[in-house]
Amino acid sequence: MSDEARVGIVLVSHSAALAEGTAEVAGQIGGGGVIIAPAGGTDEGGIGTSIARVRRAVQAAGTSAGVVILPDLGSSVLTVRALLAEEDFPGPVALADAPFVEGAVAATVTAAAGGDVKAVLQAAEEARHARKL
Amino acid sequence: MPGSCEAAITLTGDLHARPAGSLAVTAARFQSVVELSVGASMADAKSVLAVMGLGATRGQQITVRAVGPDAAEAVAAMIGILAEATPVGG
Repeated sequence: MSDEARVGIVLVSHSAALAEGTAEVAGQIGGGGVIIAPAGGTDEGGIGTSIARVRRAVQAAGTSAGVVILPDLGSSVLTVRALLAEEDFPGPVALADAPFVEGAVAATVTAAAGGDVKAVLQAAEEARHARKL
Repeated sequence: MPGSCEAAITLTGDLHARPAGSLAVTAARFQSVVELSVGASMADAKSVLAVMGLGATRGQQITVRAVGPDAAEAVAAMIGILAEATPVGG
């Protein structure tokens, strides 16, 4: 298990700072070993999403094990779907319906433990049910 | 036939996010079911969010219970992380 590639994580947000900060937190909790690529903001660096930034992030995080993409809010989903409709990536790609921070942390930990795309996607989506109080 | 194992440790610091991540990543490497409990709360050690949700703090006793073929090794690994990680924050 330890010799195999880990599933990569892509964080798509309307804000570059939100995507980068969430990647930083998830990376620290996951203990390293997982590629987490943030894709936040527009091409000009404003608030919004960019298909080009998401494409670069998927290319950066994608391994032979695949990649799980977490969008923050509505139009992030549209941007990811537009990309996936127009382009094929070499490994499996999954889009997670999950809370952004909790999902990113849970997905990263599961990827760090060697989980496959299905397991990482499930961990992200189960984050919806986790209580913090 | 699966074995079972249990051990407890008193936390010398609060259980923060990083050690919670370390516990979950490590627990996931064992075949056994691994649970952490503090008072009446229990968490699947393989779920980082559940472990953080325990809200375990300094001075509390945390019990590690594992059932499965590698239960003893899993409990030892969890206790090792809990002993090492809790005095430091983050």
